[in-house]
Amino acid sequence: MLVLLAAIFILHLACIALLLAATIHNAWWMTGGVSTDIWARWVWTGVKWNYTQIPTYYDQEYLQAVQATSVLACIFCILGLFVFVAQLYTLPKGKRFLFTGAFQLLAWLCIMIAASIYTEIFHKDEKNGWYGASFILAWISVCLTFISCVTYFILRKKTA
Amino acid sequence: MLSVLALTSVVLLGIASQCTAISVYTNWEKHVQVGSDVRLSCSFFSWHWTSAEVTFSWSYRPDGAKESVSIFHYTNGAPYIATKGPFRDRLEFVGNPNRRDGSIMIRNVDYNDNGTFTCDAKNPPDIMGHPSNVRLLVFEKVPVQAGVITGAIIGVVLGLLILVVAIYYLMRFLVARRVFSLSMRHGKKGKGKEGSQQRQAGPSK
Repeated sequence: MLVLLAAIFILHLACIALLLAATIHNAWWMTGGVSTDIWARWVWTGVKWNYTQIPTYYDQEYLQAVQATSVLACIFCILGLFVFVAQLYTLPKGKRFLFTGAFQLLAWLCIMIAASIYTEIFHKDEKNGWYGASFILAWISVCLTFISCVTYFILRKKTA
Repeated sequence: MLSVLALTSVVLLGIASQCTAISVYTNWEKHVQVGSDVRLSCSFFSWHWTSAEVTFSWSYRPDGAKESVSIFHYTNGAPYIATKGPFRDRLEFVGNPNRRDGSIMIRNVDYNDNGTFTCDAKNPPDIMGHPSNVRLLVFEKVPVQAGVITGAIIGVVLGLLILVVAIYYLMRFLVARRVFSLSMRHGKKGKGKEGSQQRQAGPSK
């Protein structure tokens, strides 16, 4: 039973880590000398990396929606961890962790919206570049948050 | 105690009015669409009352130029617009000096109006202060400000979440209170019925 609890806790922590890495780390779209994420763009000048603004032909409304939903996903996942620990102590025996599951569901929805919008709207015509690590991490965290959410909806507190 | 407090605050205010300067406030930047009107607002903070000799002075430095030209001056209760400047027939004074507002309106902006506008306000005897600059940027289509939509989405979602949680706990509290009050009433009625039944059963024995 303790092993199961530890595994679920580590899964939740992994979700948080991946979400934070996807939101903060700078690698959603990369070319040879340019590394872009959802906040700004790093340009390699041959000597050092320059921090520049995202070019204006990016759709600003969609970009800001991606920013907002990925930040919201991080917030909900972190809040879900605290709610899980609180529910561990206060939930009556035999009941399900619904509140925690609700938070994870919201986090899953938000990061799915963010990753979908980014995949669908941006970089449609750019051939010389590839999706970076943060983009892949965003999609992996979609799967992990979904698994975590389902786990919390199924799990019952031990009836001792 | 109260009198000591009042005395200290008066003394401090007297000292403060001697050694603080006037602070002029404008926007940092103004983004406008070409062809529209823009209101450049300017206000100030001063420890003295707004005097009748308050002055507002606007000057303009085009992007890339080194010199700035004076385009507007308000003094002695009357606005004066420069008759030879680039804004001679497009500028209008829309401020209220009594409310410390020295804003001007520029109509029908063009790409040549890109530049820095400086507002300098003086409130005699408070004349020490720095002028404040506002940059005018003229666009064909005004882009969305960075972070406006982001902040709006995050704020609305978190606000809705807090609202839902608050309503849930409020409903639980109200239902519990109603159940409690109903159980109190049932308890009292039950005791009353038992008492009357006992009295009826008594004399028949």
